[in-house]
Amino acid sequence: MPDEDAAAPPPPIDPRLLEVLVCPLTKTTLIYDRAAGELISRAAGLAYPIRDGIPIMLADEARRLETP
Amino acid sequence: MTYAPITSPRAPSEDAAPLPHTALDAASVRAAYRRWASIYDASFGGVSLWGRRAAAAAVNALPGRRVLEVGVGTGLALPRYAPDKRVVGIDLSPEMLALARDRVAEDGLVNIEALLEMDAEATSFADGSFDVAVAMFVASVVPQPRRLLSEMQRVVRPGGHILFVNHFAAERGPRWWIERALAPASRKLGWHPDFRFEALLPPEALARAQRRAIPPFGLFTLIDLPV
Repeated sequence: MPDEDAAAPPPPIDPRLLEVLVCPLTKTTLIYDRAAGELISRAAGLAYPIRDGIPIMLADEARRLETP
Repeated sequence: MTYAPITSPRAPSEDAAPLPHTALDAASVRAAYRRWASIYDASFGGVSLWGRRAAAAAVNALPGRRVLEVGVGTGLALPRYAPDKRVVGIDLSPEMLALARDRVAEDGLVNIEALLEMDAEATSFADGSFDVAVAMFVASVVPQPRRLLSEMQRVVRPGGHILFVNHFAAERGPRWWIERALAPASRKLGWHPDFRFEALLPPEALARAQRRAIPPFGLFTLIDLPV
C-alpha cells in the first residue's frame, strides 16, 4: 500500500454503519465529526478516534471532551 | 479476536460469574496479537481454513444481508462472503485489523462495509443491528464466552442467526484421549483443548443449537443458534 497523502480528506464512514453504531458505554447515538475523524458521544463525554479508516470504539482510547 | 496464544489473565473462564473487565486485560490481549499478527496467516490460518470456509458458506446460505464477523482478525474469511452480504468486521487488535484492511483494499472487497476496533463482549452496535453474527475461533479465547454470546444475541435481530466455529473438547472417543494427553503443551500454543460447548452455551441454547462437525477430521464444530 502506498503512503496516503496526508492532506487528503479521510474516507467517510458509511452512513449505514452510522445508523447502527452507538457508544459502547452508554449505548446512545454518536455524532460523526468527519473533519476531526472522530465519533462523539455526548452522553459519555468521549470522542472515539478513527485511525486509518478504522473507528476505535474503546473508552480507553477515546479523547475526553472538555466540559462546556 | 482471532485465535492466538493468550497469556493469563485472559484465559477463558467457564465460570459464568462476572469478572472485572479491565484495561490491563485489553492491553495484554493486544500485546499478544501485536507479536502474532505477522505470522498468523502462515500458522493458524492454514489449519483453520476448513472452519472459515464452512462458516462463510453457512452465512451465505442464511437469509438477510447484514452480517457481523466478530474477531475478524486478518480478514481470512472476508473474500468468502457472497457479494450480496454487507459485512462489518470487528477485532480488538489494531495490527490484525490493519492487515484485514489491506486485504479488503487489495482484493477489492466492496461488500465489506467497515472494520472497527471493539471489545467483542461490549460492542458499539444498537440492538438488532444484524441478521447474522459469526465468530470463528473466538469463543475459546475471550475471557467470558457467555458474555460474548449475550452480546451477539443482543446485536442480532429476532429471527436472525448466530454462528460459531471453534474447536470444542471431544466428549468421548480417541480424540478425547489425544486432547487430554496434549493438553499441557497445547495450552502454551493458545489451544484450549478443554473448551466445552457448555462454557459457551447455557442448556436452553445448547438444546436449540444445531451442531455440525466440519470435515475432514471433525476437529472443529460449526454451531448455528437461531435468535
